[in-house]
Amino acid sequence: MAEILTVTDLKKVYGKGGSLTRALDGVSLSLEAGEFVGVMGPSGSGKTTLLNCVSTIDRPSAGSIVIDGKELTRLKGRELARFRRERLGFIFQDCNLLDTLTAYENIALSLSIIRAPAQKIDRRVREMADFLGIADCLDKYPYQMSGGQQQRCAAARAMVTHPALVLADEPTGALDSKSSQLLLDRLDVLNRDLGATILMVTHDAFTASCCRRVVFLRDGRLFLELHRENDSRKAFFKKIIQVVTEMGGGMADVL
Amino acid sequence: MFSKLALRNVRRSFRDYGVYLLTLTFGVCLFYTFNSLDGQGAMVFLAQNGNPIVDSIMIFMDIFSVVVAVVLACLILYANRFLLRRRKRELGTYLLLGLNQGQVSRLLFLETGLIGLISLIAGLALGVAASFGMSALTLSMFEMDLSAMLAVNFSPRAAAKTVLYFGVIFLLVMALSGVQVSRAKLIDLIHGERKNEVLKPRPLGVAVFQFVLGVICLLAAYAILLVFGMALAIALPFLCFPMLGLGTVGTLLIFRSLSGFVMKFVQGRPGLYFKNLNVFTLRQWISKVHTTYLAQTVVCILLLLAIGITASSLGLNSTLSAMAGGEAPFDITVQNQSGDTELIDFDAVLREGGFDPDEKLAWSHDTLFYYNEKEITGIEDASGAITVSDLDALLTRQGKPAYSGSLPALLETLEDQLTTGNLSLRCVVVPDEMAEQLEVRRQVWSADYAGENKGETEQQLLQLVRPLYEKMSVRPETRLSIYGDMMGNKILALFLGLYLGFTFLLAAAAVLALQQLSQGADNTGRYAILRRLGAEERQMKKSATQQVALAFLLPLALALVHSAVGMKAANDIIFTVGKVDSAASSLITAGVILVVYGGYFLATALACGRMAKNA
Repeated sequence: MAEILTVTDLKKVYGKGGSLTRALDGVSLSLEAGEFVGVMGPSGSGKTTLLNCVSTIDRPSAGSIVIDGKELTRLKGRELARFRRERLGFIFQDCNLLDTLTAYENIALSLSIIRAPAQKIDRRVREMADFLGIADCLDKYPYQMSGGQQQRCAAARAMVTHPALVLADEPTGALDSKSSQLLLDRLDVLNRDLGATILMVTHDAFTASCCRRVVFLRDGRLFLELHRENDSRKAFFKKIIQVVTEMGGGMADVL
Repeated sequence: MFSKLALRNVRRSFRDYGVYLLTLTFGVCLFYTFNSLDGQGAMVFLAQNGNPIVDSIMIFMDIFSVVVAVVLACLILYANRFLLRRRKRELGTYLLLGLNQGQVSRLLFLETGLIGLISLIAGLALGVAASFGMSALTLSMFEMDLSAMLAVNFSPRAAAKTVLYFGVIFLLVMALSGVQVSRAKLIDLIHGERKNEVLKPRPLGVAVFQFVLGVICLLAAYAILLVFGMALAIALPFLCFPMLGLGTVGTLLIFRSLSGFVMKFVQGRPGLYFKNLNVFTLRQWISKVHTTYLAQTVVCILLLLAIGITASSLGLNSTLSAMAGGEAPFDITVQNQSGDTELIDFDAVLREGGFDPDEKLAWSHDTLFYYNEKEITGIEDASGAITVSDLDALLTRQGKPAYSGSLPALLETLEDQLTTGNLSLRCVVVPDEMAEQLEVRRQVWSADYAGENKGETEQQLLQLVRPLYEKMSVRPETRLSIYGDMMGNKILALFLGLYLGFTFLLAAAAVLALQQLSQGADNTGRYAILRRLGAEERQMKKSATQQVALAFLLPLALALVHSAVGMKAANDIIFTVGKVDSAASSLITAGVILVVYGGYFLATALACGRMAKNA
């Protein structure tokens, strides 16, 4: 399969002179089209920095990021905005939707931003809303919807432009377990049926267990990679928990 | 350390809170301009001619200055409170760093003092310029050429008064900021981020209904004004109140519902609806309508008043001037009411006092008015009579055709043109020989001065006439005094209109600007989301500017429509009496209004655009 995302020896250093913080210290990672990959790790392991670099919000200090054959680190200004809106989709933990717009308009806005032809917008919005099970609340404002509906609406907004890569940062962080399950289920369907490539950052083992592959980061380095293969979700979840405990244990040994 | 911090904070205020400084500067400028009237050309001219109206104008200005100062004080306090709320977090950080509240208060004290100083200096400089412009405007209202009186002048009295009033206001601001800081709890300051207002869904159908209703209200109000004419529509309460009421309600409804109406319209046009950030801009507009529509209505009405007052007072100026020409055909008229007992030989009186009439008077004429007697003239309803040769002499002097009607006959409309000041006689014009049978009722002496220095000539003349008062009932009236009275009244009305108009305009524009700035700051989170979605900086800036433009330009647009209709009605009156020839002055004043309002618009749009860019 074609590689959508290739991260090679990515470094991100904060600070100057003597007090350097290596948030990312040589991370390499690659995603093939249609993959659903989770990134896990304790606080300060560099997950969010990785996601910010990939999503072009932050610039890495060294290394390269290639998405869909384009070298990100060389893009500038308007090119960057253009790349972001055409090739990437975002789902964040909070402050997702514009509170002054209805769900329908929130989804349609990302299509207006990529200058999609106006006649096609309505059909595409409704298709995506059906897919994510929010067709009945399209005319509602975000504060009239439940957290789960909001997050699915955000997912619809991220997916409606058919991006090469969807980036999710703790998408279930603010949701109760039932809404989380519903959202993950939908992401799974998007991944399987529509072939969306998803990179999801989470620190919740249960959320991570629905991915096909989980990457563990620690202190800015790749620690371990787990593949689900043919495991059931439960078995995969156990494996993940094991790794998480190990990582925690490792820390305890040092102390 | 403190002064350095204060200085840096003020420098930042320049960039972020331009509206605050603008308001302070305009306020100072306005206050100075209207308090420095006594040094302005027009007032100097009136004062030179010993016109008592100058004193009353100054008294009025003093009284209204207090009103204006109170309005400005409220505005500045409001703006300051708004700024402090914005800076909650910063102030909290100072406290967290270990400054005590007294020190933070001192910091604010220094900042306010510095800002006050800057705005006072800038405002006074601007005030001197504005005062010059105002002087030019008022002088241009006079019939005669007074451009010699035009000069840049600085009034220390007005400047001192401005400094005093604004000093008190700034002290008040300092005190209030101190109180606010000392009362604030640290936890509130640190978590001072404001929450967005709760939005309520309002069906667009209602907006469409309200909009149509608003338009109908306005059309009804316009119809009343245009059908009945301005005079009737204002004079009759049962026309006036419905008209004003309908106009206000219509304006209110339009501002309240226009966004929804436009939304409904645009939703049917996907090409427009889904273009760029239009959806976002429109929704932002709708969501803010309920906090802005009242301010917009007030601004619209104030703009209407400002435009209306200026345009009509300037238009009225020409009308009054036309009337003054009729009231004062000669430079001076002295009426001797005791003419039936004793006649005065004006020529002799003047020569006796060392006044040479041949040299100093271009023309003079002694006219006798007689008692009308029905048996002789054959005309009943008249109280006086004048000979046809006297009448012709007076008319010819004014460049009018001689009397050509039948004799004897009642003078219908010409009474006004026989004397400067009122004659209050209903006259019959009789052949010269018939007058010999009539008894003298009143002696009326009229003259025109020779030479350039009319004021001086008049003073000398009045000096000589005054002693006559003791012996008999003598009443002099001069063109200059009538003219001065009229100009004084007119200037008083114009100044009061401009003064109050500008003050309220300033207040309304500043409130609108502060509202927009606060909303712009609330929007930063939304712009951050748009940026993540890949919206270009240019588009976001454009959307931010559009939102400000909608808030500022809609009231102006509606006010222009209102005033166009109003002026149409007003002109119908003005045209019947005089002609509007002060287009230039009207344009200048309209220009000044636009500069003030436009300044606020630009400052706000720039600041909001910057907020969107830095989101």
